[in-house]
Amino acid sequence: MLRWLLLALCVAALAALPLIGDEVMIQYGIDALLFATVAQAWNILGGYTGYASFGNSAFYGLGTYGTAIAMAQLHLPFGVGLALGAALAVACAVIIGLPILRLRGHYFAIATLGLSACLSAIIANLDIAGRAVGLILPLTRNAAMFYEDALALLVAATLTVFWISKSRFGVGLIAIREDEDAARVMGVNTTLYKVAALMLSAFFTAIAGGIHAYWITFIDPAGAFDLTLNVRMVIMAVFGGPGTVLGPVIGSFVLTLVYDTLASGISTAAALLFGLVIVLAVIFMPRGLWDLGAGWRQFGPRYLLQNVRMHRL
Amino acid sequence: MLFAQLLVNGILLGGLYGLMALGMALVWGVLNIVNLAHGALIMLGGYCTYFLFKGAGIDPFAALPLAMLAMFAVGYLLQRFVLNLVIRSAQLNTLLITFGLEVVLTYLAQLAFSADFRTINPSYAGANISVFGVTIPLVRLGAFAAALVLAAALWILLERTRLGRAIRATAQNLVAARLYGVNPAQLYAVTFGIGAALAGAAGGLYGMVSQVTPYIGASLTAKSFVITIMGGLENPFGIVLGGLVIGIAEALAAIYLGPTFTDAISFGLLVVILVLRPARSLGAA
Amino acid sequence: MSEEAPAPILEARHLTRHFLGLKAVNDVSFALAQGEILGLIGPNGAGKTTLINLVSGVLQLDEGELLFSGERIDRLSPPRRAYLGISRTFQVMKPFPRLSVLENVTVGALFGYAGGEHNRARARERAREVLDFTGLLHRVDQHADQLGGPDRKRLELAKALAMRPKVLLLDEVMAGLTLTEVDEVVEIIKKIRASGVSILVVEHVMRAIRSLSDRILVLHHGEAIAEGLPQTVLADPRVVEAYLGKRRA
Repeated sequence: MLRWLLLALCVAALAALPLIGDEVMIQYGIDALLFATVAQAWNILGGYTGYASFGNSAFYGLGTYGTAIAMAQLHLPFGVGLALGAALAVACAVIIGLPILRLRGHYFAIATLGLSACLSAIIANLDIAGRAVGLILPLTRNAAMFYEDALALLVAATLTVFWISKSRFGVGLIAIREDEDAARVMGVNTTLYKVAALMLSAFFTAIAGGIHAYWITFIDPAGAFDLTLNVRMVIMAVFGGPGTVLGPVIGSFVLTLVYDTLASGISTAAALLFGLVIVLAVIFMPRGLWDLGAGWRQFGPRYLLQNVRMHRL
Repeated sequence: MLFAQLLVNGILLGGLYGLMALGMALVWGVLNIVNLAHGALIMLGGYCTYFLFKGAGIDPFAALPLAMLAMFAVGYLLQRFVLNLVIRSAQLNTLLITFGLEVVLTYLAQLAFSADFRTINPSYAGANISVFGVTIPLVRLGAFAAALVLAAALWILLERTRLGRAIRATAQNLVAARLYGVNPAQLYAVTFGIGAALAGAAGGLYGMVSQVTPYIGASLTAKSFVITIMGGLENPFGIVLGGLVIGIAEALAAIYLGPTFTDAISFGLLVVILVLRPARSLGAA
Repeated sequence: MSEEAPAPILEARHLTRHFLGLKAVNDVSFALAQGEILGLIGPNGAGKTTLINLVSGVLQLDEGELLFSGERIDRLSPPRRAYLGISRTFQVMKPFPRLSVLENVTVGALFGYAGGEHNRARARERAREVLDFTGLLHRVDQHADQLGGPDRKRLELAKALAMRPKVLLLDEVMAGLTLTEVDEVVEIIKKIRASGVSILVVEHVMRAIRSLSDRILVLHHGEAIAEGLPQTVLADPRVVEAYLGKRRA
């Protein structure tokens, strides 16, 4: 009960930010919230189901372009744009998901990467998408609106993950992650569940892309299907704690904060330190911050060494 | 005639692509590490060769062995003291740590070498030979030849030397190899070092046919991925074949479909191949 | 005087499966009657696990038919067969490593026969019952990958049992157990049969096979070389020869 109260307070505090913060803070906030959503969406497929996608940028890009085409070319309202982007992403998840989800491990990761790059290249050749030049969406100066929208999206995504963690569906996903063949013979309809996880992941990622598109107003294939987005979302989710409800959110907030603080100094050093943080994190806390919290409480600093001992050659 | 020229261009470039992927395939096949920093190693090899050429006046082709030695050392140390620490972790974690290394190496290079474009321009850089009306730049021909030589050398190493046998044994069964006296930490580090050395050579050659900047790593890693998947992990020549396929596909696509389609082609091919035959191996076919 | 025999719950007709040109299972037919325990024995490499894989759907048939309660199931996926009531254990045990023993068995309760239990709390209750029945209740919260060999075997059994199977396929659940442990597991299996489950038991431990089986089927090089009552089959010279090899004259 206390936990829920605490969380509600956090959400309320976050929601109040636009009232007290300046323009810059709100912009950082939107970025952080959208990233957290994308990390959370990845968490459904990568953290719970164990299918580490390196191509969720495909869904982000589809959400971006769906919204942009709806608003810039078809002059439809924002909500319809978001819906279109989400629909495209979910459709893609179903059509491409079925064959791709038959792959495992590295192969799955690379196939998703290839998918994203391929979609990006295809879009760059479509007239309605503005080809490689991109599209310009209608301008609106209401940063607070984007902020609240992004916050609402993050809450929705997190509530979905919470539901997953408590549901039979979630148990099925975890079983798939732990041992897919055993899960199958025990009656888990792995094909259906994997595609469902992919669809949920695609949905939230696409809407984040759509909000981002309207906010920054100008989009192009390189930015919308940015491949580095994938590694960043994976790192945020894994750094925070894959397969947990709040891990990816916390990991995402922490890393965004770290990165932005460092970047306000020298940008090269920031990137360098960021890379170093990742390397150290994988060595000493491979199961993320969430597990670090639990582990530290139980073992103290020895937790870090335990991880090394468990995973070294 | 245009078609023949394109074909030759594609083949020459493809050989280099194959060499690029060779190091990644070796590490993937033996250590089960998908090295996202592979492109950064290529980049470092390029810089190494560049400075040997510019600073010490050594002919780039002659500088390659030195660059390879340097990159071997870098790779050995990386594996021995960083990657060996996480090797029994989930596959995802090795992907992430190599990504982190990629970022670190890229920005270290930016700090050390600046973002300027560097090209390795030996005196014979512009020379061509003409065969049946097809123009073949000497440097590209040399790069192609070097790539084939190194692929063959790798094959010989793996098939005909004690070290190669130890590497192959470890790839198949670490526990059994240990029982036969293989020191895994050492062997893994040596294997990664060889992969880095091959990447370094590819980088030096790349610097002769294109430019070196700190940022070339990412796309070269991606390209090496595609080629490794296509060529399979069985056989160095499968990788070279994969490289040739990509090289030719790119050259043809660039003209007939437009330059914006090359990425779509190679990644589209990748997805199709993965879905149709996940463990496809051109070398074993 | 023979009465009309009820239809077998599981029927296999001319099952054949190739691997790399060899016939791992070659024209094997058998029937498992409702409430029966059929023992499946044969030397290593005889095709017993392949047969289990074919029945549970992990491998596809090359030839032959498989019927469950009279319906063809050879095109159904493993989850679908689990839904119908077919459960199996794995010889090389496959626990969900990072989940607790209770969570492992709960998966079975949530997904087995007829889609299992949809309520997680009730599924957990059932899981506890099954763990109690198989003697693992004291390990309820331990991580599955921390269990020792015999306990892992029991966990396999518990997971399969939680699915409320109609047909249970046991693949060497007694390998590596002491005599006392074997007798315990035999008792458990007899109780399972008493609750109405039909069982196909693959075993090397003859003591258990003799004690459990109503009938025995013997495989050798993928073919069924003998089938019948335990006393008859185990005394059959071909069976003895398969296990011990040809006697030199």
